[in-house]
Amino acid sequence: MAIYSFWIFDRHCNCIFDREWTLKTNPSSGTTNSKLNEDTAKLLYGMIFSLRSISQKLGSLDSFNEIRTIATAKYRAHILCTASGLWFVLLSDLKQEDLSQVLRYLYSEIYVKTVVYNWLSPVDFAETANEKRGQGFRKIRNRQFLLAVEQFLGPMVN
Amino acid sequence: MNSNQKPEMTEHQKQQLQFQLFQESLPKVNEIVYRMLLNETIPMAVSVQNRLSDNSDTQGTLGQELEEKLVLDPLKGHVPSHKLLQQYLASESDQQAKIDNRLNQIGFSLGQKLSQLLIFSNNPSLSFRDMDLLAVMKFVCRDVWRQVFGKQIDNLKTNHRGTFYLLDNNYKPVESLALDDDKSLEEKALIDPYLQFPCGVIRGVLDSLGFKEEGAVICTATLVDNAESSKSKSPISSRAVIFNVQVAVEN
Amino acid sequence: MSASTNSVPNSSTGSKKSLKAFSDDIWKNKTAKINAELFTLTYGSIVSQLCTDYERDFVKVNNQLFLMGYNIGMRLIEDFLARTALPRCESLAKTSEVVSKCAFKIFLNVTPQVGNWSSSQDAFSLFLDENPLSDFVELPMDAAKELWYSNILCGVLKGALEMVQMDCDVFFTSDVLKGDQTTELRVKLNRVLKDEIPAGED
Repeated sequence: MAIYSFWIFDRHCNCIFDREWTLKTNPSSGTTNSKLNEDTAKLLYGMIFSLRSISQKLGSLDSFNEIRTIATAKYRAHILCTASGLWFVLLSDLKQEDLSQVLRYLYSEIYVKTVVYNWLSPVDFAETANEKRGQGFRKIRNRQFLLAVEQFLGPMVN
Repeated sequence: MNSNQKPEMTEHQKQQLQFQLFQESLPKVNEIVYRMLLNETIPMAVSVQNRLSDNSDTQGTLGQELEEKLVLDPLKGHVPSHKLLQQYLASESDQQAKIDNRLNQIGFSLGQKLSQLLIFSNNPSLSFRDMDLLAVMKFVCRDVWRQVFGKQIDNLKTNHRGTFYLLDNNYKPVESLALDDDKSLEEKALIDPYLQFPCGVIRGVLDSLGFKEEGAVICTATLVDNAESSKSKSPISSRAVIFNVQVAVEN
Repeated sequence: MSASTNSVPNSSTGSKKSLKAFSDDIWKNKTAKINAELFTLTYGSIVSQLCTDYERDFVKVNNQLFLMGYNIGMRLIEDFLARTALPRCESLAKTSEVVSKCAFKIFLNVTPQVGNWSSSQDAFSLFLDENPLSDFVELPMDAAKELWYSNILCGVLKGALEMVQMDCDVFFTSDVLKGDQTTELRVKLNRVLKDEIPAGED
């Protein structure tokens, strides 16, 4: 049982949070803002974006055909897309059949309580038009959110 | 709560139970809507201050034009909540004082109406006829706090000469407020305006119960380090606040 | 590579009843509540402070309430989606139903009537027979003329709908506080916003 990484994308196609446990980093710093992660984020975004477009075309008009998991030979990506355009993504090994409950918890118990209820935090992370369409750089860094993610996902990492 | 187990319920307990049932039967709204309304009051007060300062140099026809624009485009000049709070930090102390005062007044006018609301609800443990100052403060700690903030004040201390310390170990309206790890000083400064509203509520309740003279009641609030919260593992940090209330009493 | 997807049943037939039951359940069993009168009194204190600050210039008060609501709406929508896990609505008719039967129910415990559809089906009204913001409120003469007392609601709806890509105008057309027969809140859809795509992809 292993979760490898956790990503959040916002409705401006920006990665507003990433945490990769397999990389050697200082765990207390929470995020790793390395170039490598930025590239991975873009690829991950592109993959989900494409598959989402296809799955929506496959679905009929009045039913919602949302993508939930994608598997390769070694990885599984678990995805929660909200109506507000947020994507929560977990990468795990193949043993994790379904992490949808974990994703829902990350959204409703962690994101909503530490970002949405937190009036000191933005809920729209793009401050100007130049930071939209995948060109943003701002991340969720408030300490309650980082702590909550570590506490919740930490025990599932290995 | 189980009446079968306690057939010998006293008259007072019966009244309490009845009161509780009555409270539960009153119309309700979602608590989160109330919390969000209170939270947004602080950036709103900053926004008002910005606009009042702007308007001092536009008058007459220009003001009229501005009003027409507001009707056509109600989002003109919109600033998100967290940005308005950052502006509070950056503003001069006289501007901050005006914003604080605005928030305090909102609490005050709520406090004035609250005692009426709570008295008319037939709470059996309340009789205002011969209530002394200490009884009034207990009313604030128990009934007012429970109504507005969903919990009671954890500790009340007094010197019996008009000075009271009310300790709330977990002042809920500020529990979700957090910045990045390295910004704890800013974070504390941003919590300050959030403490004006409850101070106003305390003043308003006292005012409506007879402590009316100008300056008769002074209420200030301080965020205190919460030893228990730093030990606790919950990422949502509870924050302790001490409310210092001074009431001028004739000797 | 294999992909599995999930489809949420979302047919319009029979959804009326289930949406109501769904919302009732959330309200009854999964919602922390407070006294509605406390809410009314607090909102009243805020409005009256604004009237003082703007020296009874009610156009400015209306706008400030709208902005206040907009900021709340941007956040409240996430709370709503987290509670309900509802997908985007496929039509404005569905949106009107979700707003009245679900959002108003879960947050304010009232269910406004939907009606007064425009002929092109791009605008509807919510009739607020009950309004927890203004219960027992009476306006002085000058305010009754110009003040939209519950204007914060328009801002909340504007902000919340925008976050699910619906660009709408939201405004009151009548209010019992002004002596009107009904309290009517109008929602007009300007356009459905396109989801952004990364720069350079179009």
